Amino acid sequence: MTLLEIETLKTYYHTETGDVHAVDGVSLSLSRNETLGLVGESGSGKTTIAESINRILPENGEVVDGSIVYDGVNLTELSEKELQKYRWNDVSLIPQSAMNAFDPVYTIEEQIVEVIRAHRPDTSKAEARERAQELFEFVDLDPERVTDYPHQFSGGMKQRAAIAIALALDPPILLADEPTTALDVIIQDQILERIKDLQAEINSAMIMITHDISVVSETCDEIAVVYGGRIVEYTDTETVINEPHHPYTMGLRNAFPSIAEGDQELISIPGSPPELVNPEEGCRFADRCPFAEEECYEKTPQPREVAEGHVVECHRADEAEELRPEANKKEAWTEERPKDAAAGQEGYSND
Amino acid sequence: MGMKEFVVRRIGQLAVTYWAFLTILFLLFRIVPGDPTTMFVAQGLSGEARKEVIENLGLNEPLHIQYVDYIFQVLQGNFGTSFQYREPVAGIIVTKFWNTIFLMLGAITLAYMIGILGGALLAWWRGTDREIVGLLATLVARSSPTFWTGIVLIMVFVFWLKWFPAGGIRSVGADYNGFVDKFVSVDFLYHVALPMLTGAIYYMATPTLLMRNTMLEILNEDFIKMKKAEGLSQYTILYKHAVRNSLLPIVTIIALVAGKAIGGQLLIEVVFNWPGMGRAMVTAVSYNDYPVAMAAFFLMGSVVILLNFAADLLYAHFDPRVTYE
Repeated sequence: MTLLEIETLKTYYHTETGDVHAVDGVSLSLSRNETLGLVGESGSGKTTIAESINRILPENGEVVDGSIVYDGVNLTELSEKELQKYRWNDVSLIPQSAMNAFDPVYTIEEQIVEVIRAHRPDTSKAEARERAQELFEFVDLDPERVTDYPHQFSGGMKQRAAIAIALALDPPILLADEPTTALDVIIQDQILERIKDLQAEINSAMIMITHDISVVSETCDEIAVVYGGRIVEYTDTETVINEPHHPYTMGLRNAFPSIAEGDQELISIPGSPPELVNPEEGCRFADRCPFAEEECYEKTPQPREVAEGHVVECHRADEAEELRPEANKKEAWTEERPKDAAAGQEGYSND
Repeated sequence: MGMKEFVVRRIGQLAVTYWAFLTILFLLFRIVPGDPTTMFVAQGLSGEARKEVIENLGLNEPLHIQYVDYIFQVLQGNFGTSFQYREPVAGIIVTKFWNTIFLMLGAITLAYMIGILGGALLAWWRGTDREIVGLLATLVARSSPTFWTGIVLIMVFVFWLKWFPAGGIRSVGADYNGFVDKFVSVDFLYHVALPMLTGAIYYMATPTLLMRNTMLEILNEDFIKMKKAEGLSQYTILYKHAVRNSLLPIVTIIALVAGKAIGGQLLIEVVFNWPGMGRAMVTAVSYNDYPVAMAAFFLMGSVVILLNFAADLLYAHFDPRVTYE
């Protein structure tokens, strides 16, 4: 059952040099209990997609077109005030860096109590406090420390506390914006596990935003690969990892190490993400794509269903079977192509 | 270190500050040119008579004896006898001191209230016409001398609207039972309103602009975005979180504003015919009336020192990250 349906969403940032088309016609759907991964480089627009949902965009950001339908309600049409009651109660957020996610002058408990009572005014302070302790137990933190100030917590503890507060109202949708990038690998793993467990426990759906394809492959049911403000490939995790159809997805996969495959050379995608100020017609990945043809520069590819539930935006999606082995070779990505030879771009490694 | 120990240590520092302050005060009045005897000794009088005056005033003693005497007397709360009035200084100055303090602290409090709320709004209105108008008003207020603002206020509220009296501290013939009654009466508020407003208009720019700048920084912090995502109301985000976090630098400059206020006080007192310290100070200095002038400077200096002390304690209270070290 569909919980959230995003259709041809366009979110622009108004700047002095023109509008940045950070999200330029994105469609997604999220079912109950599903975990959807948004994968892409920094600047691809994945965070903007999430921030469009509960509309916490920076001041110059604006949803200019499209719809975000949650539970029969189009969130883009709500006023700021009407949206307030959906925030956190229905869509909560685990931020990228919990370091500054809490107000430094209040204790964690005060902040959890505040958000509970903002949405459920009938809850007594004592009940809300009890809930805060319960949440701390949930995320493996000592419940007694709930009355500490944020600065008394380590980075990993703050991240857990951020998860705790995100779960305070049992939200049907969790937006996790790179929830583990600020942490070391061991804690990363624990936290991902914990998020998954909790998600199962409270039956919420999750949108996991990350640039780390290994994180999504562990946690997500479906993956949407975001590039230049568009979704270039969108299907179940298995297929994205094993049978990618878009050259960018293939490149992204190459850029990450896999312990299972042993000795393996990482191949980075040359070039940098496209300029999104008033973008021109044509595939946005063409400049960096080893398989780009004339058509790719001239016409923007439209989403195409190559198999059931597998949508790809690429003119050469049908040739994916032949392109895939090519994409695994380093030469394919490093060989200079006429288009970018003059530019002399440096190789871009995915961070 | 615990809070208690911090307070004790801070009090220790306070004592040292006071000692330095008293010493400077003492030396200052010995260095300045001018001779107090000129007030008593008519021209052409014999050297004999002049010597007698000097002895009476205790000015014949060596400087270090005078210094030690002075420190001990101050410690006992004894500010000596006025050269000019030949009365104990305390009697002359205490009422005036309280008159000034109520006016000044009232003005500072008002300035802070306007500054904190106004600065927060200016930050919230960033980039709008309202912000420009607000900034302009703040700068105009800051650039207007108090005697001018005072006269404009008198013109508007006294002569045109007839809402307030033109000056003085209380109505003629008013009767009071005791200290509290004197300063918490409607009559006092009625008289203090305009001079207090004049002061507040002059002092408010510093807290307003500082508040605005700090707020702009705070509003860009991640946690503000999180509070928005949490679905808290704009009002809660602005006042409970952003303003609360922006208070720290504002608290720090209380003492600075107070220092400036003491300077600004004199003109306000003259314009509004306010029987306060500002005028007492000027008269005392021009008559070389050391004891009164020193007591006046001592009290006003004390206000700044004590406010500084209060700001330090408040700072620790406002920011849980401040450790008492």
